[in-house]
Amino acid sequence: MRDRAEDLALASPGILLLAFAFILPIAEMLRLSIVGHDGGTTFEHFTRFLTDPYYLGIVWRTIYLSIIITLFCAIVGFPLAYVMARATPSLRLWLIVLIILPLMTSVVVRTFGWMVLLGRGGLIPFTLWKIGFVGRNFTLMQTEAAIVIGMVQVLLPFTTLSILGVVMKIDRRLEEASRTMGASFLATLRTVVLPLAMPGILAGSLLAFTLSVSSFVTPSLLGGVRLPVIAGSIYESATKTLEWNFAAAQSVILLVGVLLALTPYIKLSGRRHG
Amino acid sequence: MVANVSKAAALLALASVLATPAFAKDKLVINSYGGAYEQIHRKLVIEPFQKKYDVDVQVITAYSADALAQLRAQKAAPQFDVIHFSGGQEVVAAREGLIGPIKAEELTNARDLYPFATEGLARGEGPVHAVAAIGLLYNKDKAPKKPAKWADLWDPAYKDHVVLTDLSNSYGLLGFLMMNKVKGGDIKNPEPGFEAVKGLLGGAVVVSTSPELQQNFAQNDAWIAPYAQDYAYTLRKAGLPIEFVQGAEGTPAVYLTANLVANRPNQELAKKFIDFSLSAEVQEGWARELRYSPTNKATKLDEALAKEVVYGEQAVSGLMRFNPLDVDANRASIIERWKKLIAR
Repeated sequence: MRDRAEDLALASPGILLLAFAFILPIAEMLRLSIVGHDGGTTFEHFTRFLTDPYYLGIVWRTIYLSIIITLFCAIVGFPLAYVMARATPSLRLWLIVLIILPLMTSVVVRTFGWMVLLGRGGLIPFTLWKIGFVGRNFTLMQTEAAIVIGMVQVLLPFTTLSILGVVMKIDRRLEEASRTMGASFLATLRTVVLPLAMPGILAGSLLAFTLSVSSFVTPSLLGGVRLPVIAGSIYESATKTLEWNFAAAQSVILLVGVLLALTPYIKLSGRRHG
Repeated sequence: MVANVSKAAALLALASVLATPAFAKDKLVINSYGGAYEQIHRKLVIEPFQKKYDVDVQVITAYSADALAQLRAQKAAPQFDVIHFSGGQEVVAAREGLIGPIKAEELTNARDLYPFATEGLARGEGPVHAVAAIGLLYNKDKAPKKPAKWADLWDPAYKDHVVLTDLSNSYGLLGFLMMNKVKGGDIKNPEPGFEAVKGLLGGAVVVSTSPELQQNFAQNDAWIAPYAQDYAYTLRKAGLPIEFVQGAEGTPAVYLTANLVANRPNQELAKKFIDFSLSAEVQEGWARELRYSPTNKATKLDEALAKEVVYGEQAVSGLMRFNPLDVDANRASIIERWKKLIAR
């Protein structure tokens, strides 16, 4: 009995924080999402969102951009994490610092950097123009490509570090065994390391996916108002047109969407560890 | 629990009574809009007023929509003495009885104001103490020619170099309503405006904030954009060759008003504060510091400055305003229609 009291005392700051900063606001959001103009209960906000091709288009853009971003993060993150795991400890430390360093700068500042690089006359369009691929007025700003580039840069550290944690635990002797049995380096990577690293890749991808469907700063700055995503649409409804109930309904839809994406992962990892 | 809270509140109230010195200065509570605006507001109005009348002025930063929301919430026990609006909220506030009427005789500067600035007094609204004019910003170094009218936005000479502002931005909304008007629509019928904007979208960039507009003029080779006159000055200060032109069809104006909050004990002092905001000296300061146009005819501006604001009877006669009540009633639907139009 005393043990339980001690446990509770230890957990209470966390529980309190969760209750006040998470559960309470979520409950309020759920309530707001079903309040109508006259104060009664209604599902009109959900109907408005789910029956309008414009809003469904926003959902579709958010999902497919997030999938592309996640794929890029995994494809770039896995080899990077593997190299980091197999490097000497001091080199690994430097690589980790290198990966984490961008996180020390605000996303807004980094995104402004991309705006300079991707805009008309910026480094990338200018180089492409000099090489002769594109016209003088070419710009990458306000394109979906810009959103993907910016988001991959923001999310890559999260994916890489998740994968790194798992790759570090893979027994090196398994790779050595594979090589002595005659498998090439790439075959070893594909048949031994990749399957063993899968939990890390899944966890990292999931992190990247959930962060990118709910991200708002980078898509709104790099994509602009003509490429709306869900989080941007929620922001507009909440702060610009002051339709709080509609904003809450959109947030509920986003929350449910993220939970749906999480379910197969939880099942999958439960099977692996359970 | 409730008893405890009220006990605590009573204690706090007692403490604050005890803490107040017996000969406290008179105090006014006002709102300002934050940032550079609030700095200048303090320098031009608030600090000189405190000195002149030996009173305290407490400033709470609240934008117009927020300020209106606070007034509504505090209806039973208002906390502000003077409230400033820039989005036409005074029309709504007056109708709801949140702000009190001021008679022209009570303001020494009232007789010097242009008629449009005191028009609202009869409806129980405060006077207009400054104007932000909406027109065309253009890059004088790069644009092939100087624009003269709103219809020039559709001139093929500017194709691919036009910047439009999202309607979630209030300057953007006014710019769009003007384009709509030029194309034959009105607030209740925005279709002509949407049709016309549709034709522009292929060769235009749409931004949603002022810094993005700056970025487009600085790096993205923008030539022309409907926006506010005071922001043209901000861009010039940042070293960009941007000039402001009043469109020949009319100049939509953002009226900055100073309003007397209803049911407050210190209304005489509040009226003095509002009157002070209307003086020629203060308005000259607004024009000099931020390029807001004066509403006081007696305001003297030197020649260079006069060219950068709406100044003089003739220029002022071009100012126009969309009815704030209509704008408020149609804002959400117009913005949603706009978002659907511009989404790719």
